[in-house]
Amino acid sequence: MKIFITDGSPAAFFTAVFDAYSEECVITSDSSIQLSLDSEIVRVQYDDEKCRRVRNGISKYDELAEDEILLALRSCDRLKEQIAFGYIKKIMQFKAPVRKRLSLPETIELNDLLYKVNGETHRLKGLLRFMESRDGALYAPYSPDNDITDLLMRHFAERLKSEKFVIHDVKRKIAGMYDGNECIMGYAGEAEVYLSEYEKAFENLWKKYYQAVNIKERPHEKQMKGSMPVRYWKFLPEKN
Amino acid sequence: MIEEEKLEILTESAKYDVSCSSSGSKRKNKQGGIGNAAASGICHSFTPDGRCISLLKILMSNECIYDCEYCPNRRSADVRRARLTPDEICELVIAFYKRNYIEGLFLSSAVFESPDKTMELLCETIFKLRKVYNFNGYIHLKGIPHADGALVMKAAKIADRMSFNVELPSEKSLKLLAPQKTKNSLLLPMKSLNNAIEYDKQNKVRRGKVLPAGQTTQMIIGASPESDGQILKLTEALYTNMNLKRVYYSSYVPVVQSSKLPSVGAGLLREHRLYQADWLIRFYGFGVNEICAEDENLSPEYDPKCAWALRNMHLFPVEINTAPLEVLLRVPGIGAKSAYRITEARKFCKLDFDNLAKMRIVLKRAKHFITCKGRFYGSDNFNQVKTSLQLADSSEISEQLSMFSDTATALSALTGNI
Repeated sequence: MKIFITDGSPAAFFTAVFDAYSEECVITSDSSIQLSLDSEIVRVQYDDEKCRRVRNGISKYDELAEDEILLALRSCDRLKEQIAFGYIKKIMQFKAPVRKRLSLPETIELNDLLYKVNGETHRLKGLLRFMESRDGALYAPYSPDNDITDLLMRHFAERLKSEKFVIHDVKRKIAGMYDGNECIMGYAGEAEVYLSEYEKAFENLWKKYYQAVNIKERPHEKQMKGSMPVRYWKFLPEKN
Repeated sequence: MIEEEKLEILTESAKYDVSCSSSGSKRKNKQGGIGNAAASGICHSFTPDGRCISLLKILMSNECIYDCEYCPNRRSADVRRARLTPDEICELVIAFYKRNYIEGLFLSSAVFESPDKTMELLCETIFKLRKVYNFNGYIHLKGIPHADGALVMKAAKIADRMSFNVELPSEKSLKLLAPQKTKNSLLLPMKSLNNAIEYDKQNKVRRGKVLPAGQTTQMIIGASPESDGQILKLTEALYTNMNLKRVYYSSYVPVVQSSKLPSVGAGLLREHRLYQADWLIRFYGFGVNEICAEDENLSPEYDPKCAWALRNMHLFPVEINTAPLEVLLRVPGIGAKSAYRITEARKFCKLDFDNLAKMRIVLKRAKHFITCKGRFYGSDNFNQVKTSLQLADSSEISEQLSMFSDTATALSALTGNI
């Protein structure tokens, strides 16, 4: 069986779909994938024409599917390319959107990916924490499961229009920067931040608030952890 | 910057207020300003009691001229007192908001000096927050009973949501336990705010709408003798006549010793059942009469939908592939989302039991009330059905209420002894 390995970019994925479409194959960006004896590895070279044709093909039957697929490809799921591929095949097979065929396994699987990516984006709109640096710019380091930094950038650029801020995905080493005008995405390894002199004091006020608003006679740790999983705590001042 | 102790006192005084949501408003960011409001609402943190923090929930002051029996801040109580200035509040909101700690402000206050004076300062605070500090985030303001109507209306033009708490489920209890508050001092401002909201709606006002996120209210359950049926009747009336977005229930907790108050709390299970019934009224097309008779309480053993279904077994089972949405919504265990998903999915192919499981429709209750392609997977034995529903419920309840790390705190929480 052929295994198409992409570099993880949507463009390479769409190219792979073109090549893989007519056969039983696997598309993945996971180079640690288990190989069987009969597997043949194909490293996908991005091809503008193939990519365009696949995208057009999808849009012809379902105008919303491309956005869904781009969103699903942000997932940290190892099978995301394969799931997106399966979803595309179904659209082509029915020559129509399959979004509402809610008992179709391909639709269920894709919806699961979307649910997780959208869910984490929504959750982090709340759980992201900025700290103020000496020059007034805000800095938020975090480590999301899925690749959602630019989605969060849009939300915060709307909300903090006249502020300057940086959102830094320390796991993927990428950062979004907003200078009060526009957002730019880029590589960012380690960041050195000098905090403003008030930062610690506001952080302490927040911790005090967090303590005081809790009704400690009614502990419900399980619910807290369900809504705010422990893996996000590292960047929350109130949990450190 | 405000002192930590003040923040602590005024937060602890505000923490029993139930409402926290920041949803329902789509306020846009204005040029040069900070913040906007997300219609879906956003939770920013969760405390160890499992509640979410969305808004900075704080009192302006806990110095009160009223002496409501149940309130820890009543005039005759011996507690630490504090007051914040409008600027102190505004600065704190902006600092917290910028760091993404909060979605906005939930400002309330004890009644100091006079209702008008209190309302005036609350008004001044949120006015400043919007106009001087340029804040476009979410503001929920508590209404002060007996305050001047013009002040209330002024506040309503600035805030996203307001709430006058009805406090207790009947006028009689209000007279007994909160003698300085009257039914009219709570319901009349609610009514006039609703009129203003309706006016905007009818005239399609787009800019500067009054209370874009509407009104809510809260009442204490179990401090007075009203039955669940009476409470739900009141709830239904508030939803229909006042168009409230939410009615919150707060199960009574005996923090205050008084001969007029019960010595034990109402318990979280009762509160939980009331919320379940509330949901059935708002989203599932149930009338109060179907759920609970006027002088009765909700069943502690079954959730209200199961209890209704058990009384109406002659209506079941229903065929999943043909039952209309309103009927699906009445099947125990099938929620609004599941019902909708079933109606969408069955347009393309007939659904069997396996399909439902794969779509993650929860079937442990529902299977006794449905057929899939004519086949029934539940039990014909009424007693078995009852037992299985009870089991399903108690495992969920223990999940929801047993959050308590040890038995002693579990008991104290259930009895409301805190």
